[in-house]
Amino acid sequence: MVALLALAPVMLVTLLIGLRGVAAMRTTSDFLVASRRVSPLLNSAAVSGEYLSAASFLGVAGLVVKDGIGSLWYPVGFTAGYITMLILVAAPMRRSGALTVPDFAEARLASPALRRLSALVVLVIGVLYLVPQFRTAGLVLSAVSATPYWVGVVIAGAVVSATIALGGMRAATYVQAFQFFLKLLLFIIPAVWLVVQVGPDVRHDAVHPVEFTVFEHDTTVSFRVDAILETEEPTPVVAPDGSTTTLGPGQHTIEAGRTLVFAEGAPVPGIRGDAPLGGPDWQRPLLNLEDAGHPLLSTIAVIVAIVLGTMGLPHILMRFHTSPDGRSARRTAAITVALLSVFYLFPGVYGALGRVLLPQLYLSGATDTVIVALPSQVDTGWAGTLMTAMLTVGAFAAFLATSLGLLLVISGAIAHDLVPAGLRKLRFSAVPAAAAIVLLALPSAHLDAGLLVTWGFTVASSTFCPLLVLGIWWSRLTAQGALSGVIAGLLASSGSILVALFGPPLDGWPAILIVQPAPWSVPLAFATMVAVSLHGSPAPWSRTAMLRLHLDEEHVRGSARRPPDAT
Amino acid sequence: MQPPSGRVRQRPSPRWRSQPRPDPVAVLRTARAIVDDLADGLTGNGARTAARRLRGLLDVQGLALADLSGSLLWSGRPGDDAATETLVEKVLHTETPVGRSPLLAVPLHVNDELAGALVISGTVRRAAVREAATWVVNALEHARLEASADRAEQAELRALQAEISPHFVYNALTVIASLVRSEPDRARELMLDFADYTRYSLARRGAYTTVSDEFHAIETYLALQRAVLGDRLRVQIRVAPEVLGVAVPYLILQPLVENAIRHGIEPHSGSGLVQVSGEAEGSDCVISVEDDGLGMDPAKAKTVLAGKERTDSVGLANVDRRLRHVYGPWYGLVVETAVQAGTRVVVRVPRFQPGVIP
Repeated sequence: MVALLALAPVMLVTLLIGLRGVAAMRTTSDFLVASRRVSPLLNSAAVSGEYLSAASFLGVAGLVVKDGIGSLWYPVGFTAGYITMLILVAAPMRRSGALTVPDFAEARLASPALRRLSALVVLVIGVLYLVPQFRTAGLVLSAVSATPYWVGVVIAGAVVSATIALGGMRAATYVQAFQFFLKLLLFIIPAVWLVVQVGPDVRHDAVHPVEFTVFEHDTTVSFRVDAILETEEPTPVVAPDGSTTTLGPGQHTIEAGRTLVFAEGAPVPGIRGDAPLGGPDWQRPLLNLEDAGHPLLSTIAVIVAIVLGTMGLPHILMRFHTSPDGRSARRTAAITVALLSVFYLFPGVYGALGRVLLPQLYLSGATDTVIVALPSQVDTGWAGTLMTAMLTVGAFAAFLATSLGLLLVISGAIAHDLVPAGLRKLRFSAVPAAAAIVLLALPSAHLDAGLLVTWGFTVASSTFCPLLVLGIWWSRLTAQGALSGVIAGLLASSGSILVALFGPPLDGWPAILIVQPAPWSVPLAFATMVAVSLHGSPAPWSRTAMLRLHLDEEHVRGSARRPPDAT
Repeated sequence: MQPPSGRVRQRPSPRWRSQPRPDPVAVLRTARAIVDDLADGLTGNGARTAARRLRGLLDVQGLALADLSGSLLWSGRPGDDAATETLVEKVLHTETPVGRSPLLAVPLHVNDELAGALVISGTVRRAAVREAATWVVNALEHARLEASADRAEQAELRALQAEISPHFVYNALTVIASLVRSEPDRARELMLDFADYTRYSLARRGAYTTVSDEFHAIETYLALQRAVLGDRLRVQIRVAPEVLGVAVPYLILQPLVENAIRHGIEPHSGSGLVQVSGEAEGSDCVISVEDDGLGMDPAKAKTVLAGKERTDSVGLANVDRRLRHVYGPWYGLVVETAVQAGTRVVVRVPRFQPGVIP
């Protein structure tokens, strides 16, 4: 309950920021110096602040508990994405002056059709990215306040909608930079406290994982999602009403919402589709998507999607516009890598501790709440409550920062590109968008935040990555080529995501390539773009457009400086 | 010539018997396309296409458009070369229709001035020739009007850019002169500010600049104004870093600030506050200039914005027109004002607009 109360200030501050619109206050005297530059450090803190979402804050540690050490490849990809951004996209994108990918498409290829298509892709990526944010916010709220999941999601949606409706849509660099350091502190302090507090035994267990085979004490498991338990020997369980049943060997379906108590010494059932907790499969430092084998292929697929997808995230790209020129945009990307690296050191810590202290989450399917559940396992006094509150606030701040940024981009895409309407519709298209996301998040409780977010990256890597990379580096790209490539990538990636969601279960490497299509959809999009472009001829001004992307601003605009003092 | 059929009252052309009446929509479409094609005149890129369309409309074997030099752009089967050449020469010389079907030429007079000739090879009615020539002339006149309107607009934009108030130049130089002996360092600073300001105002680098440079320009302007007005002028500038790199037309802020000072502070003896702020709102950049001066009647603000009133706030109407010209009718100035309630002028521009590049 304390944790829930701690959320109030976050919501209040966010609302205030929305009402007030924080811009830097300056008097005349320091204006000249201060306005010239936003330092790359500040800007990269703002990028990181907007980027670190609830899925990063909570999801990665949850994935470690659920799927094993290999999940740490996700944060590696989340960070490494900025390296491709740095090398390929940051500076030319800034020089183009474009705010979003649809803007870039119009500036580089002058095709209104491509602009609308890009806006549609922004919509798809935004939804895939937002649903897990709302889902995670809902899970956390329900975990700390013991309310049903849907209440949490609806509250989260209401807060976001209220902020937007009250005008909280300003892209405030200082606020996002502050948010980043806030999140960093709220993430690091509880981690350090936990490591110190748990004692040497747990620390030893954390770095020497053993398979979770026997319940060490009476354990209550509240199943949040439907689970199929696989038991090899009879396992006695106690239902909340006190009646004891025994699960015989075989498979048992447990519906979401049931609570079972496993007695001390009872064998731990397996979960179909997941690696046994702490077992060799869990310890292997590679991902194992869909439990389909081929861990190397799984890992590469995920990394390709994330690393190439980062450059296409609509809310992040917008942030680079704040850099004064191409060079500082590149610096911003470089520093962002460093800042994110610091942050992503800690999900592993939470994951390792969570495996030792909260193994039952693995059964209940609520692994995404491992971070907020940890402090109370270690300390039931005020310190534990304080740490839980800090983590909840951090997670909610992360949720708000990312969701507001993304909703802003989505509603911008709807208002400006997809619906031919005048101005001022922006604010009113954001609220229905938030409502739609809430409706989509309600049935998504069983999907991992990490998986959903990665799908967002997958679509981005199959559509915007080829568009940006070829648009920036290949002068022969034509509007026709870009259109067909983006369509091919969009159909391939979203099609296989739909198959993964609603299609028949698959086995082996086809399962991996369907649940994570990046290894084939990205080359497909690139190849389509190149092939169709080679078939046509580029616009006569395409070389001029390219030059603009790559020439240093100083050469283009000339310098306007005061002469040095001649004293 | 085929014998008349007598089916219609008007003397029909041969094709009217074999074909149904042409679709009026198609005819209108072709006519409009001809106007578009001739947007660059008889020597432009579209002239040949226009000749082709016109030939289709008249249904003749060949049709050519000649410019004043006598060079022909043929569509279809050209007539006898030597005969055509003498014909065109004669038409351009006499400025009257020459020749008879199947080879004839009519002069094209644009604004009562010879601009070229229309040459037709093939059987065609005289009325059709006359109408076709008139249509081409109208299209050319239209194109010429458009071009001159464009030129006028460009000239106006250029003129607006260079506008520095002489009043201000005089005041600034006087203040600097008065400081030269007593505070030489300050005078030097102000002189450099003045140099910066004039350089920026008179710049001819391109039509657009960045918000950052615009704020820099009003900064130097305000430094000079503070030297003139002293403590009476208080200034607060707030600008969010997101909008510093946004491209905007040259000198859209300075007239607004000048206006705020002239109407908010100068008329009364007390001091006044001018607030300038810039921030991002979604994909728009919103800049506002606010003073706490006398304000004005909203109806008056309306006439000032419309440029109807010949007052010294002509700067506002200028900025408004330039903004609309660049960004479209949605993006004009918004003036919030009332008598005794100060004035707030809001500029809203998209953070990215294709073609608007500093």
